[in-house]
Amino acid sequence: MTTGSSRELPVCTCPLVDSATGAEATVVAIACADRDACRLRVMGVYEGATVSVIDKKHCLLVDVRGTRLALGAELAEGITVLTRGIPAS
Amino acid sequence: MAVGTPGSAPASGALRVAIIGNPNTGKTTLFNALTGLRQRVGNFAGVTVERVEGGFQMPDGRRITVVDLPGAYSLAATSPDERIALDVLRGHDGREPRPDVVLVVVDATHLGRNLFLASQVCELGLPVVVALNQVDAAAARGITVDVPALIHELGVPIVPTVASRGEGLDPLRRALVAAATLPAPTPRFALDESAETTAARYGWITDVIARTVRQRASASGSASDRIDAIALHRLGGPILFLVVMALVFQAVFSWATPVQDAIESGVLGVGHAIGQLVPEGDLRSLVVDGVFAGVGSVLVFLPQIALLFAFISVLEQSGYMARAAFLMDRLMRRVGLNGKSFIPMLSGYACAVPGIMATRTIEDPKDRLATILVVPLMSCSARLPVYTLLIGAFVPAMPLLPGLDLQGATMLAMYLLGTVAALGVAALFRRTLLRGPVRPMILELPPYRWPSPRSIAIIVWQRSVLFLRRAGTVILALSIVLWALATFPRTPVAPDAPPAVAQETQLANSALGRFGRAIEPAVAPLGYDWKIGVSILASFAAREVFVSTMGTIYGVGDAGESALADALRAERRPDGTAAYTPLIAVSLMVFYVFALMCMSTIAVTVREAGGGRIGWRWAAIQFAYMLALAYGAAWLVLVVGRAMGLG
Repeated sequence: MTTGSSRELPVCTCPLVDSATGAEATVVAIACADRDACRLRVMGVYEGATVSVIDKKHCLLVDVRGTRLALGAELAEGITVLTRGIPAS
Repeated sequence: MAVGTPGSAPASGALRVAIIGNPNTGKTTLFNALTGLRQRVGNFAGVTVERVEGGFQMPDGRRITVVDLPGAYSLAATSPDERIALDVLRGHDGREPRPDVVLVVVDATHLGRNLFLASQVCELGLPVVVALNQVDAAAARGITVDVPALIHELGVPIVPTVASRGEGLDPLRRALVAAATLPAPTPRFALDESAETTAARYGWITDVIARTVRQRASASGSASDRIDAIALHRLGGPILFLVVMALVFQAVFSWATPVQDAIESGVLGVGHAIGQLVPEGDLRSLVVDGVFAGVGSVLVFLPQIALLFAFISVLEQSGYMARAAFLMDRLMRRVGLNGKSFIPMLSGYACAVPGIMATRTIEDPKDRLATILVVPLMSCSARLPVYTLLIGAFVPAMPLLPGLDLQGATMLAMYLLGTVAALGVAALFRRTLLRGPVRPMILELPPYRWPSPRSIAIIVWQRSVLFLRRAGTVILALSIVLWALATFPRTPVAPDAPPAVAQETQLANSALGRFGRAIEPAVAPLGYDWKIGVSILASFAAREVFVSTMGTIYGVGDAGESALADALRAERRPDGTAAYTPLIAVSLMVFYVFALMCMSTIAVTVREAGGGRIGWRWAAIQFAYMLALAYGAAWLVLVVGRAMGLG
């Protein structure tokens, strides 16, 4: 997706699981058990972080600061992101 | 490192350095390079499950002690591994004085994440040195780090290194010594894990990266991505995993054979030569039938065990192990665990002891305990001698598929049986004693790497030495005790009796024979005779002892392992029927799949499950359920097999 086309797409919030594969998204809220939220944040998935979904399988494959993270699906449900474009679901 | 020049007095007391870093930064490789101490290097989160210490000496004679801490993403102490690291750095670990200097290893290719831990360590009030590792890999990816600018931003000394090639070590050593006299860096943030602090810290890191790191636009799609497209594919991934595992087990079974044959003829030759030197009598019998039959019959399995450890290490270091955990997550969730628990289970194929220690990376205590309880169900390398002996003796090498015959398939079936049982038992524990919600997985998938032949060789060497030490101590001692029990009291036999009859009469009337008859009722329902019963009992110390006991009982000391297989095939019951049928062999293997017969595993479970009474309680539960499972399953195999008209 080029910058030009993404400008024309609407900005919306959705769970990370629903954000489009390959598109960058900004984390706005993390709702899960405190321990898991803490773990996510130190691994780079914090409120304000830029992440992008690489692949969606039984769990989510996410690129965070150049690192590959596999996140359980219910975790990815609890992460709300701000993204450009129409959510996948 | 050079020794101190004559006359130079070493500074008082050794300088203590603690090494910390994210998993997969090359931290352990750097530790090895600095200290020369050999230690395991892995590519999945948390291979450094134990604290390891080493040291080096500066040219002025000053000694530096280096402690390798477990890999950690932060100082949040959310897993036992991270707690150990934090305790040492804060000086809260009772056995360990607080370090004088902390060496933080950061991966130059992943600075954006690695600086998180580094910046936390800078707030502990200790002098800090940063090793900017893997600068060669960063350069290859078009990443340039402005080191002076980064030093200015962080306020601590930074030394670029390539640990795998030993580059930058001398400047690093000098920086460590010099840092001890420097003040600790000024704290920037509170040392907590709140959302606000974490976001502020990452915000600061983003600014630092923007000012100090330049990255050339890279071509899209790294080699890791292309491999993952297959390795993590919904359908292709699991198929690839099964193919890899099948190849590993077939290779362990077939590649080792030439070396095993060589060892066997070596043991045979030495046993024969020594037998000639010792006069005929009890001493010769002790050497040939006791020591050589017992220890020799176990020694031949060294090549298989070495190969298995080599394969498991390749899977770990290449980064494939983390992918296996990813693939298994869905299955593991069904049993109440997550994919992360699969890594210790897979290590359990080599040995349950490192497998159980690897559970320290699991954050949730109930998840961790459930994993500890089932890791010993994964068939470890000590079961290989038992499987190999029985498969070799009773399963024909009938080809099934290209690269796989019936023997290999039987072996694979034993491993699968243990794995399936481990999953089933984990599900049971998670629904009863260890009930709780399923913890979601958060797992880093490190980039694929070529495994280092040197570190694989180190692991294989360490494990082989451990196995040989066990053969020279536990197995040797038990072989001598069993030989004595089988030899005394002496029974007079008619001088014209054939040797086989004489040996059988002697064995039946020996202390071992009498003891075996006493316990026979316990194993009779499984179709086993007293000789198997005695061998099983002896092997509660270590599973390999089953084979060495069989070697001693059948007195095949100077004839090797294939002779033992022949002896088993030829063995008859008093009524003339075969004592070992393929059905009995399978039932016996199934018994060994499930039974916990290893003192080292019991000891490590006690320690890792909480120590003291709590630890012993869990170890007792583990031992009891595995024995019940072993007995029940072996009996079931026999009953069902007979009902089907087998054996």
